[in-house]
Amino acid sequence: MARPLPDLPPHWFQILLALADEDRHGLGIMSDVLGRTEGRMKLWPGMLYRNLSRLVDEGLVVEIDTPPGAASGGGRPRFYRLTSTGRRACAAEAERLNRFVQAARRKKLLKA
Amino acid sequence: MRLHAWWTVPLVRLYPRAYRERHAAALAATMQACVEQERQRGINRWVTIARLALDALCASILVRRDLRRSPPASQFSPGDSLMHSILHDVRYSIRLIARAPLFSMLVIATLALAIGANTSIFSVVNGVLLRSLPFAEPDRLVLLHKGMTGQRMFGFSAPDFVAFRERARSYDGLAAYRTVEFELSSVAAPERIKAARISASFIDVLGIQPALGRAFTSEEDTGRQPVAILSDALWRRSFGADPSAVGKPVTLDRRAYTIVGVMPARSAFPYSGPRLNNLPAAVFVPISFSDIELRAFGSMYNNSVVARLKSGVSMEQARAEATTISRQVGVDVYPAELRAFASNLTTTMTLMQEEVVGNVRRVLYVLLGAVGVVLLIACADIACLLLTRAAGRERELAIRMALGAGRGRVMRLILIETSVLACAGAGIGVALAWWGQRALLASAPIDIPRAQEIGFDSRVLAFTIAVSMAAALIAGLLPAWEASRGASNAALKEGGRTGGAGGARQRRIFAGLVTLQFACAVVLLAGGGLLIRSFVRLMAVDPGFKTDQVVSAATSLPASSYRTGADVRVFYGRLLEGVRKLPGVVAVGAATDLPLTVRERRAFTVENPSPASTSLAHIVANDWVAGQYFEALGIRIVSGRPLSDVDTLVSEPVVVVNETLARRYWPGENAVGRRLAWGNPDNHGPWMRVVGVIGDIKQAGLSAATESQTWQPWAQMPDQALGSNLTGVFRSMRLMVRSQVPPVSLVSSIRDQVRALDPALPVTEIQTLDEVVAASAGPQRFNAALLGGFAGIALLLAAVGIGGVLAITVSRRTQEIGVRLALGADAAAVVRMVLRQGMTLVAAGLVIGLPLALAATQLLTSLLFETTPHDVAVFGGATLLLCLVACAACAAPAIRASRVDPMRALRID
Repeated sequence: MARPLPDLPPHWFQILLALADEDRHGLGIMSDVLGRTEGRMKLWPGMLYRNLSRLVDEGLVVEIDTPPGAASGGGRPRFYRLTSTGRRACAAEAERLNRFVQAARRKKLLKA
Repeated sequence: MRLHAWWTVPLVRLYPRAYRERHAAALAATMQACVEQERQRGINRWVTIARLALDALCASILVRRDLRRSPPASQFSPGDSLMHSILHDVRYSIRLIARAPLFSMLVIATLALAIGANTSIFSVVNGVLLRSLPFAEPDRLVLLHKGMTGQRMFGFSAPDFVAFRERARSYDGLAAYRTVEFELSSVAAPERIKAARISASFIDVLGIQPALGRAFTSEEDTGRQPVAILSDALWRRSFGADPSAVGKPVTLDRRAYTIVGVMPARSAFPYSGPRLNNLPAAVFVPISFSDIELRAFGSMYNNSVVARLKSGVSMEQARAEATTISRQVGVDVYPAELRAFASNLTTTMTLMQEEVVGNVRRVLYVLLGAVGVVLLIACADIACLLLTRAAGRERELAIRMALGAGRGRVMRLILIETSVLACAGAGIGVALAWWGQRALLASAPIDIPRAQEIGFDSRVLAFTIAVSMAAALIAGLLPAWEASRGASNAALKEGGRTGGAGGARQRRIFAGLVTLQFACAVVLLAGGGLLIRSFVRLMAVDPGFKTDQVVSAATSLPASSYRTGADVRVFYGRLLEGVRKLPGVVAVGAATDLPLTVRERRAFTVENPSPASTSLAHIVANDWVAGQYFEALGIRIVSGRPLSDVDTLVSEPVVVVNETLARRYWPGENAVGRRLAWGNPDNHGPWMRVVGVIGDIKQAGLSAATESQTWQPWAQMPDQALGSNLTGVFRSMRLMVRSQVPPVSLVSSIRDQVRALDPALPVTEIQTLDEVVAASAGPQRFNAALLGGFAGIALLLAAVGIGGVLAITVSRRTQEIGVRLALGADAAAVVRMVLRQGMTLVAAGLVIGLPLALAATQLLTSLLFETTPHDVAVFGGATLLLCLVACAACAAPAIRASRVDPMRALRID
């Protein structure tokens, strides 16, 4: 862990953030991100799955077997889970953003 | 997909096939859910579908690009990304292995056996050959012996040693030692133990420290004081590892010795490797040369000498000095009448480690090589299995490659899988090796030197790891290469079924592996066969005596209780008489040595020698015998009479000779009536008349050439000799009892007879002569059993290999065979075809293996008895056995092929 983790693209950060508290399927991630960004970040299915594939390749996310009792939206949904590396990367990104927020506070752009 | 809306179908079709197969269902479901979501926000369904179409188009283009590029190494876990993905692969492999338990167990068991066997043998090689002796700077320790041209080396006499020590300048220290025996009493039931008489400097020369107490002082040595140092083993066994044992007395030969120290645990000195003084001692006493020993010029050459070379002095320099000293001592120290004899004496010097382990080096490395070849054959078996299975996994691997896994990644996946299997095999193998090593040592002939130093250390562990990884690579590399190759082909073809070209390629690989296996197997079979044939020849050797129904037992009379020769004479006279009266006893004799292990060699002189014999070396093996020795052993009388009770102190000194001696020294004449004497022509003892010539018996083991031998009546030795405690030769006798009843049933009666005469006297070395003969062939039996066993395993593995490969081939050619059968080929023709295919591979293996075997068996030359390393019968037999076993292994797939139902075969696919 000598080198700092690289920056995360915003949509990757949001996907990882969506998975931070629970395992979700594609639609679950999409809704979570949509809700949190107040409709500003819509992850359309094609790009969502392409990004999920890349996140899997990067080792930030793994596909898991469908948990029992999970809602099946026609066919078996694919569930995703954050890896420990993914959790670290997401936390590092949050920390980086937090530093900007702190800076904004110091410069009195935000209320303390 | 049938559940999803129709419009999702074309959108999903935009993606490349491999990606689509993986994600289609999720994509379609999510797209539908998307439409629903947007509708709730008041957006028209068709608008959403249009957005989705645009998204699918963009994403599919990007996905195609992603797939074309190999994925960059993950940036998110720098440094450990490789480790991380390897761990991922390991977890994946473990899941795969667990999913095919039968296959995995087969592979792991094969590897465990092969790795375990390799580890066992290596631990022996390591303990015996590779580890240096447990002394300080062992490469400076040398052993010195005396020699004479044409003679086996022998030891230093006391005056030789003293003179040599005074003159030698090449050494930091010299010490003499000798193996002796003591009766140990005062601690438990009396027993006889091996002991060593050592110079005071002995412990210093070896550069060790007593674990407890101290070494001997030179005053204790020269002053002949009764002090003793215990071996670690005796200290633990008889003194319960009590540190206060130092200072206490111990009774040896019924005399009290004060314990002054305990030897360190790690060595059991003297080692069993050298020819002389080679029995690990339970107790050490000062060598304390007696006055008689110190004046024993020309006799009692029985002390070994260990010395530490000064640093900077080479072996050559020390040897040159030893030669000079040898010559000087002959002139300056020896009395005038022995100078001619002394001038023939030489001094030999060898590195101690070499002397200790030199004799077993060859056989241990041969065994290590053999067990390595077994591992190679096992790896080939496993490679075949993996190849077969990899063919079934082509689809999975193709998907992996389609998803961007490079060929290297796929190879790594398979290599990791074999590594995981090898690790499991190694784990079990080490446990097996632990057990196997014990079994090996328990069954080993006692003369594996340094046996007590064999164990598991970091080097053995490193070897196991290296062997396991090598096995994983050997077994996995080819399947990995092939699988990644096949997978990339399949991915391109998008078909998934191996075409004819791939099949032919795989057949060639299988053929290569099977050929390799048989080439290796024939090498081991030839080697094992040679050792077995050699052992059989050895067991067929006539030892010259009848071994059945004879039991032997030894006693030795301590000088403190039997002071004079008369005491010794009376004891053995009574013992022989008592045992002779036991029911079932046919004949009782006694001798100073058992046949096959006659220790005494003497110089002798023939009266009026024939001119032809003067050039011969006049050295003879001699045994002193009492009672009905020849009857008890069933030795053939060629002419004259055996020794008997009429040969006493007052009758003419007599001797019996063997046929070899009679033939050599009195060729064409009757030896009976001739005379010979101990010593040299110009300085010999009293003449002894030859009263009988008897059949040859083996003196130094079954494989040794028969030497000239004499038997002298023990009863004719003067009291002074019988009572002498210098060597104790005449005090220690071995009873030989021939009986009509099973000899073992006599043992307790023999013990009772001894106990009646002396309740404290231990009876030792109770064994039947059959056991004596078997023990004499112990090393050969061990070698033959081990190498033969490895050859057997190799054959079995090769048979499994060829059987398995043919079974696969047959199942792949079911269709073709069906066509042949449908076109009228009969079942026999199909059987012939499959057998021909198998036997072609065997023949190829033989063509490669036989020349290899011819070269490899050269290494066995020194281990063979009356068998050449190119023995035609052995090579023929090995070839035949190999072919028969291969035929049997091919039979099952061949018969299965002939029973293919043409109709069903044609319907497949």
